[in-house]
Amino acid sequence: MKSLVLAKQVPGNDSPFRIDGAGTWIEEGNLTFGLNDYDRYGLEALLKLKDAGGVTEVVALTVGPERASAVLRTCLATGADRAIHVKDDALAGADPLSVAKVIAAAIQGEDFSLIVAGLQADDDNYGQTGPLLARLLDRPCATAVMGLELQDGAVRVERELENNRLQVVDLTLPAVITVQTGINEPRYASLKGIMAAKKKEIKTVGLSDLGLDASIVGSAASRMKTVRLDVPPKGEGAEIIEGGPDEIAAELVKRIREKTGVI
Amino acid sequence: MACKAIIVAEHEGGAVRDITYELLGLAHKLAGEAGWNAAADIKAVFLGNGVEKLAGEIAARGAAEVIYIEGQALAEYTGDAYHRAIEEVVKAEDPAIVLFGHTPNSWDAAPLVSAGLDRPLATECSAITFDGGKALFTRKVFNGKFVQIVDLGGAQPLIATVMRGAAQPSAPGGGGSVRKIQPSFAAGDLRARFIEIKKGETGAVDLSQAEIIVAGGRGVGSAEKISVVRDLADSLGGQVGASRPVTDMGWLPHEHQVGSSGVTVSPKLYIACGISGAIQHIVGMRGAGYIIAVNKDRDAPIFGVADVGVVGDLFEILPALSKAVKEARGQG
Ligand SMILES: Cc1cc2nc3c(=O)[nH]c(=O)nc-3n(C[C@H](O)[C@H](O)[C@H](O)COP(=O)(O)OP(=O)(O)OC[C@H]3O[C@@H](n4cnc5c(N)ncnc54)[C@H](O)[C@@H]3O)c2cc1C
Ligand SMILES: Nc1ncnc2c1ncn2[C@@H]1O[C@H](COP(=O)(O)O)[C@@H](O)[C@H]1O
Repeated sequence: MKSLVLAKQVPGNDSPFRIDGAGTWIEEGNLTFGLNDYDRYGLEALLKLKDAGGVTEVVALTVGPERASAVLRTCLATGADRAIHVKDDALAGADPLSVAKVIAAAIQGEDFSLIVAGLQADDDNYGQTGPLLARLLDRPCATAVMGLELQDGAVRVERELENNRLQVVDLTLPAVITVQTGINEPRYASLKGIMAAKKKEIKTVGLSDLGLDASIVGSAASRMKTVRLDVPPKGEGAEIIEGGPDEIAAELVKRIREKTGVI
Repeated sequence: MACKAIIVAEHEGGAVRDITYELLGLAHKLAGEAGWNAAADIKAVFLGNGVEKLAGEIAARGAAEVIYIEGQALAEYTGDAYHRAIEEVVKAEDPAIVLFGHTPNSWDAAPLVSAGLDRPLATECSAITFDGGKALFTRKVFNGKFVQIVDLGGAQPLIATVMRGAAQPSAPGGGGSVRKIQPSFAAGDLRARFIEIKKGETGAVDLSQAEIIVAGGRGVGSAEKISVVRDLADSLGGQVGASRPVTDMGWLPHEHQVGSSGVTVSPKLYIACGISGAIQHIVGMRGAGYIIAVNKDRDAPIFGVADVGVVGDLFEILPALSKAVKEARGQG
């Protein structure tokens, strides 16, 4: 049983984030990039199934510029078997529906029984690529998965709801799921894994290789467009207490006493 | 049969979920901006089995018509069943906009409908406005560091998922009708089968009853360093809370997680340490009586909900505060 993990490259949490000159995205110059956190959990979910024998092959796929191949290397070093990199200048800024169409085309003929995406990407926070792909492929889908188990011709998943509740649902394979963080404990690449990854294949394809036209899936064709990015509005907000640690502590004790009575 | 706005209503445990009325309120606001006839142009689609009474409640609060799709296949939410039913209604009604709640189920279904209709989707919107005939959708990116305004290129229908609190709920009145229809498919046609709803992990600690909570976030840095948070909690005689990354990474068990997918708390005192203040965290703790935030980033959204804040390193502030609290309580 073949499986696919979608792996997106995103700026790391500690990157310096600044709105770019055009005002529609962020300056990329000083960012450090890494594998989207949700996708680390997605990869681990498939590696676990492979360890247990249910899955025979784990393939990682990214859609992104040259630098995005680094996340495929990460996946290969961590245990994925091979990788697909869809790279085309015409895709810069493509909307999620376009990206999903590109992914659908890139895996045509591959026959993946289980496709795993992250619940959302830490950059755009769209939270839609996985289910978009599911619908384009006409496969059942479940999002925000916090537990999964392979069954005969199906996968049983636990979807996260609010207030610490889970919905258990069986999906007939082939299926698509998106994982929520915390579903498992992602492993890290070992030195051996990093060495082994060097011999693994990354297939790079562009839109023309996929028989796709930029006028249908490229950024120019994307209907969802960013008008601008803004800094979030700041409300009234907290009164900021200043001073050295001990002065601040003394002031906080006073406030806690007056306002809450718990001391 | 055409209309301008369709909202996707939700119910749970035998009641209409509040988000339904917020979506209707938003649809009314949009009708005002776009010049639609709110009394005829706003409809709700409502799916379930044996919940016709609830459909009537929605019709009495601002929907001109509730299209109630009833069937065994819709008794419980599955993306497979719900997206098919919603897609069929949207195709028949050809609205200008379709509004979903940004809730676990509607967020699951909306992208399926978006791809099925080949129309773009704006998720997690905090505001939608018509500006000179063009709809603009406001949503967060980079986990709340920035707000993004998107345009869906004049697609028909426009599709969005809308956060709680984005609009005032619709008021009672209007006396809309309910039209009951059956889905075009049976439960046996589906590729998703509902099994059960179950409770997530629970443990010995129940934060929902705590009077004092000191909560640590990703800024604490590691499982070992949670001890600075625990020391402060101990000095105050309180409990330790956490943001999601802390429990995801196993620094603390799941039962300590505060927020939309954890516990909702309402202590007298909540001290958030190294927590940025994502909306999913805030909804779980904004009911606290007094909120103190310690964060090294002055722009962290947590300062927007806190009563007082300290901009600084939690590893300097927390030990000093623990010591001062102990002294104040005569234990120093
Ligand atoms: C469906 C869904 C459900 C979710 N449910 C929840 C939920 O129930 N609860 C929840 O909490 N989250 C939840 N999340 C995750 C949420 O969106 C945020 O990602 C999360 O709350 C961020 O946690 P954080 O603030 O600890 O980490 P970050 O956002 O990474 O913030 C860390 C903060 O620590 C500060 N910091 C770093 N070092 C120091 C230092 N030395 N001293 C002081 N400050 C420091 C930084 O300035 C930063 O503000 C959910 C997400 C989704 C998509
Ligand atoms: N460009 C991309 N390349 C690979 N995977 C992607 C890409 N965009 C989105 N995904 C996958 O879809 C998930 C959700 O992304 P999004 O819909 O952008 O929030 C991510 O966690 C990835 O698994």
